[in-house]
Amino acid sequence: MKLRAELAIKCATHESQTESRNHSIMQYNGSAIVAMVGKNCVAIAADKRLGQQALTVDMDFEKVFRMTDRTFIGLSGLAADVKTVHDTLRMRVNLYKHREERVIEPKTMAHLVSHMLYERRFGPYYIEPIIAGLDKDNKPYICATDLIGCLSLPEDFVVTGTASDNLFGMCESLWEPELEPEDLFETISQALLNAVDRDAMSGWGAVVHIITPDGVITRDIKGRMD
Amino acid sequence: MNFAEMHQPEFAQAPATERHSHGRWEPYVDNGGTSLAIAGSDYVVVASDARQSNGYIINSRYSPKAFQLTNNVILATSGYAADAKRLVEVLEQNSQMYFHKHEKPMSTTATAQMLSNTLYGRRFFPYYVFPILAGLDTEGRGAVFAYDPVGNMERVVYRAFGSAAALVQPFLDSAVGFKNQRNADATRLLDREQALKIAIDAFTGAAERDIHTGDWLDIYIVDGNGVQHQKRELKHD
Amino acid sequence: MFLTRSEYDRGVNTFSPEGRLFQVEYAIEAIKLGTTAIGIRTNEGVILAVEKRVSSSLLVADSIEKILEIDSHVACAMSGHTADSRTMIEHARVEAQSHTFTYDEPIPVESVTQAVCDLALRFGEAADGQESTMSRPFGVALLIAGVDEKGPQLYHTDPSGTFWRYEAKAIGAGSEGAQTELQEKYHKDISMLDAELLALKVLKQVMEEKLSNTNVQLAKVTQENGYQIYTKEELQEVISRM
Repeated sequence: MKLRAELAIKCATHESQTESRNHSIMQYNGSAIVAMVGKNCVAIAADKRLGQQALTVDMDFEKVFRMTDRTFIGLSGLAADVKTVHDTLRMRVNLYKHREERVIEPKTMAHLVSHMLYERRFGPYYIEPIIAGLDKDNKPYICATDLIGCLSLPEDFVVTGTASDNLFGMCESLWEPELEPEDLFETISQALLNAVDRDAMSGWGAVVHIITPDGVITRDIKGRMD
Repeated sequence: MNFAEMHQPEFAQAPATERHSHGRWEPYVDNGGTSLAIAGSDYVVVASDARQSNGYIINSRYSPKAFQLTNNVILATSGYAADAKRLVEVLEQNSQMYFHKHEKPMSTTATAQMLSNTLYGRRFFPYYVFPILAGLDTEGRGAVFAYDPVGNMERVVYRAFGSAAALVQPFLDSAVGFKNQRNADATRLLDREQALKIAIDAFTGAAERDIHTGDWLDIYIVDGNGVQHQKRELKHD
Repeated sequence: MFLTRSEYDRGVNTFSPEGRLFQVEYAIEAIKLGTTAIGIRTNEGVILAVEKRVSSSLLVADSIEKILEIDSHVACAMSGHTADSRTMIEHARVEAQSHTFTYDEPIPVESVTQAVCDLALRFGEAADGQESTMSRPFGVALLIAGVDEKGPQLYHTDPSGTFWRYEAKAIGAGSEGAQTELQEKYHKDISMLDAELLALKVLKQVMEEKLSNTNVQLAKVTQENGYQIYTKEELQEVISRM
């Protein structure tokens, strides 16, 4: 949709200008992140590109972070806010551990993030996080929020970033329930690689984390480098 | 008529539901919808959803945007439905003229080139249409031609255009183009049943996520025996 | 014969009471004054042969061109007022290029022929919406040779704007004798080698001058190579086989 040539003559209203400015902030650095539920496992994957619009400045930019042993967060959007939110969240997660003397659950972290974002309701962080993890009963948990912390909790997959449309199309047709870790890895990798290949703002390889009760498998994938 | 009536400001007569800012007339509307085509060694599959929408309004649940032109040539469209309709009329007219002038049906490649010229002929007031032309070439192989609204043409093996193109095209890259699969033969062409299944899967996914795509799916299969059409149901919500 | 003609031969757009267009008929007569041109169709391609009247030893024979290329797969030989053919060939060339531009395919041979014939009748007053190019009928006949998906074809057009498809055809001053000869010697399975020989032999019979590699022109249009005009050496090779 966003790739289509815009032939209609646009009357620039104040509203649409504001909207397009916010829009361009979310598109400024480029990213593609996806998380999927499998059988007793979850996977989260992200591309590695960091750009300043069309200019690529880093091909090994981290946008998925391991917040606890088995909970990951993927942050798409403005790279500066990705860093800020990651740092703040790390602080909050550590404080939680000290105060509660237990490790934060993925669901709890989702609500923590949601609150952090809504606090900045009228001056938001320009990020759209997704969270993936296994809870204390080894139950897979995934969720996504918008930039002001509205949670969405689907049971199959969540996507975010400039390639989100592409990822939706891929996931909608590739994902199936009850995938074993290796099959889940294959599915999420195919979904991500083919999605970023049709998005100019993301790509340059990818990282995939498969979270299982026995531990986390992290793999770097080489994709098209263009 | 009294004085007050005569001097009503002009906007008083404008329709109550003014869609466009500043009330300026817009020559183009995006009616949404998605079309795709997949070429095989001796067939081509074309699929288009039939929903026609304007913003959040659904104008029609069955308004086909894939059209059978002369024998064995299908034009699948997306973009502005009115322009698509006119484009099909122009193509059909040209095709009939050609048939009478040269005493043979216009080939797929000839139609493809003619379509490119037709589109470029309106370079400065284009048809707001993203056409995909599909048929068999003179060797009997499947042929798919994809265009931008001003006539840039490319012969491809598969292509998706329209409101769910971003969702469908990467999937076709994977399923039809075997992209990012190290051990796959990227030049392999699918057999007809596989292609048909992929087309349907693509639209099932697209209808799930894209509000402008859905309701019904028109499928055309062109092969040496002619054109076969089928209509399938998609999500209506 | 001409004594029976009346005032009806003045206007190009006036029928005689018997329903004849005299100016067109006169134009056809003009062909009979022209040099002889021969076309022979075979299953592999078409041969075109024309006679050149080298009226003076000071005349550069190469400057006479009576076989011309319309497109890489269509050629044309002419007889009559050859200057008139410039307009027609130009029209045919434009039509052929325009077809390729529009449809990305070579124009069918019959379609070029039809296009030329459409032009042939555009004399006299301009019809609504189109401009008249000539005030009188063209005084030239053409042999249009070409190959397309229907195979090798040979067409004959005359100033009336009519065209016919032929297996072998002679036009021009020696056409009567040449046509009779072609009628006798032509057969469906004739090879290209035999056809080029036949064309030259027939031409030789109807020519006043002695046939040589300077006073005839030979060309062929084949499925494989399209239009090719014979060089002096190639022409000499055929002559030596006669």
